[in-house]
Amino acid sequence: MSNIIERVLVYLDGSEESIIAAQYAVSLCRTLNSQLYGTFIVNTHALNDLVKSRIFIESEQKEYQRDLEEDADKYLRNFEEIAVDKGVAPECIKESGLVHIKLKEMVRSFNIDLLVIGELSRIRSRRDEFYNESERAMRNVPCSVLIVKDEERTENIYESME
Amino acid sequence: MTLIELIREDVVKVPLKSKTKHDAFRELLEVLKNAGKISNSEVVFHAIIERDDQLSTAIENGIALPHAKTTEVDRLVLAVGISPAGIECSSHDGELSHIFFLLLAPPDQSGPHIEALSEISRATKSSAFRRLLLASQSADEIVELFCDE
Repeated sequence: MSNIIERVLVYLDGSEESIIAAQYAVSLCRTLNSQLYGTFIVNTHALNDLVKSRIFIESEQKEYQRDLEEDADKYLRNFEEIAVDKGVAPECIKESGLVHIKLKEMVRSFNIDLLVIGELSRIRSRRDEFYNESERAMRNVPCSVLIVKDEERTENIYESME
Repeated sequence: MTLIELIREDVVKVPLKSKTKHDAFRELLEVLKNAGKISNSEVVFHAIIERDDQLSTAIENGIALPHAKTTEVDRLVLAVGISPAGIECSSHDGELSHIFFLLLAPPDQSGPHIEALSEISRATKSSAFRRLLLASQSADEIVELFCDE
């Protein structure tokens, strides 16, 4: 029987939770000898909405877009280091658009078997449930989803890998 | 970070006493200062005014979203104020502004800043929600509304 998890995609958003998810995904790919993909999606959808609503002016849009692009590069570099440190060669994908839609597209185009995401923040209002992008991705992607919890255990697993 | 994590009773002022836009900004900054969120409100005030001078941050339907990046904060900070009488803020639709969300972000947190503004924008699109906010008599009620929404 071939590896049932050949390709793993981890979603990075710059949060502490997504870094823990990346460590877990690295450990998993190392153990299963799976291909690891990591993505950071610049949420240009939200940015465009703010401009349309005239909450942002054009100069702000440019400034924030540049900031987000730089964040994406920084977090993907960090992800690459986390993986390479443990002998895993990842593929880094920088995308832009609406996060849950882009994740769904990536899962399809790369034939991803498993999407790994960080622990979701506690739902405290109906709005959280409707608009949290990780929550929406979890519900919409066509592959299995793994939500990484237990930060301490995950770090221990990651650190123990030679 | 979700909006509800930013809205606590100590950063909500109901009602705002101010009669002018600048006074309302200062009143909200005082709220943040009293809550221990900022120390130098004058620096922040100028950052907000500088942005507001380029295009009024009073959008439509009685909502004002003054915002700025500033090194005076090390995380996203929000103050909410309700003015039942309304304040002339040169809004985009010409209406008085009643519901103020003053948002400050450190320069290196553009992502959370955008998410928070988007969330406020989405939440306040509902006329029923705006009416409930405007009818609120206390900070507790405002916080509860955001939890229930």
